[in-house]
Amino acid sequence: MTRAKIYLAMALAFILQLMPWSTWVHPEFVLMTLLYCLLRSPHLCGIGTAWVVGVILDLMTGVLFGQHALAYTLTAFLALFYQRRLILFTNLQQMGYILLLLLFNQSIMMLLQAYTGQYSLLILFLSSIASLLIWYLAHLLWLNRER
Amino acid sequence: MMDDQSPKFFFRGTSILLRMVFFSALSISLMASDARFHYLGSLRQAGMLMLYPFQWLANRPEAIYQTLNEYVVTQTTLREQLATLKNESLLQSSKLQQLQSLEAENNHLKSLLMLSENSQFKVRPAEIIALINHSYSHKVIISSGQEEGVIDGQAVIDEQGVIGQVTRVFRYTSEVTLLTDRDFAIPIQIERNGLRAIAYGRGNRYSISLPYLPANIDLLKGDRLITSGIDGTYPAGLLVAEIAELKTSSNSPFAIVHAQPLGGVHNFRQVLLIEPQEKSKSLNEAQQISQQDQQQHQQNRLKAQELLHKMQERTE
Repeated sequence: MTRAKIYLAMALAFILQLMPWSTWVHPEFVLMTLLYCLLRSPHLCGIGTAWVVGVILDLMTGVLFGQHALAYTLTAFLALFYQRRLILFTNLQQMGYILLLLLFNQSIMMLLQAYTGQYSLLILFLSSIASLLIWYLAHLLWLNRER
Repeated sequence: MMDDQSPKFFFRGTSILLRMVFFSALSISLMASDARFHYLGSLRQAGMLMLYPFQWLANRPEAIYQTLNEYVVTQTTLREQLATLKNESLLQSSKLQQLQSLEAENNHLKSLLMLSENSQFKVRPAEIIALINHSYSHKVIISSGQEEGVIDGQAVIDEQGVIGQVTRVFRYTSEVTLLTDRDFAIPIQIERNGLRAIAYGRGNRYSISLPYLPANIDLLKGDRLITSGIDGTYPAGLLVAEIAELKTSSNSPFAIVHAQPLGGVHNFRQVLLIEPQEKSKSLNEAQQISQQDQQQHQQNRLKAQELLHKMQERTE
């Protein structure tokens, strides 16, 4: 992966994220792309990238500045912490860990937003599953095999 | 935390733990400054301007789908639509005639009572271009902003009822908080008996609630809520919602009232922005009327004096 590719993927992910998805299932394209970049090329993007991406997403969603940024920073930390082991895993194992990361991210967002609105565990879980599905599709589409 | 067993041959930058702590602190301070001091308004403005092309692009597939849909319409459906539209316009024109006479009568009565006339509000169409997609917040982005003269706090309606209110204005777009958002409140009146209350969004897509109403309140299922117009934001008489659920609980002195919004809060793309009314208008009118009255009064007095003079002259 090159720097240009990462920028392109991120731009695409933002556009996809902005599309009108249903409120029940809302796949997190940006987070998935971010995690992919973090795991595949940690020399190009790190926790700073995650923070910047989070701030942009805060802008888009109109929530308090720093909510996504904080959640993404922490999630990126967890991803990078095991990065060297994770890239040796099989795809199924990777997906398990990604699901954990997604749920972790969602629960941080939920904690930060708990005071503004009601939240539903079902939505949280469905969105994570949908995001995981994207990971699997990307894997099928050959993205995941460039090792 | 991360115990590297291999010796450090290469410097890989600061540890990820340190970075994590740094960026977390940065995010938390951002949150605090945004929530407490509102320093970041201009930053948000600039950011939204930069994001506009992304929003535009993200909106393309659906827009293209809709235009295609409009192109690929059979003649029969077009005919049917035309027929229904004609019927509707006939019905509406007859209603309008009644309404006009009623309005004239109403204005006349109001002027007799020295009340300010109900000013007709102006509307401006706008299009929803993006949903702020969050399970928690019910907000949308519409396609008019500062350039088109949108102002913070404008009411947003569709043809069936109130949808929400403009909460943030950017250069070419603005953010609308929907009726069902958790933070939303709207002053309403029950259409049937004129009872005033405030309705709050609950974060639920299909209902809003009327809290703090006494358990013995005169409400029925199906009662319609209209805007009371007291706050000056919403013109009076716009449809808001319909009572859908009415419960009393033995351990609460208040009735549990849930209402279903009548406008297509989550359905439509086209909305109408209500131009803000001048709040001082009625006051000005009242002043004008009183001035006119005074002038007339003086004129009358002058005339009376003249008449008196003439009478005196004649008697002499």
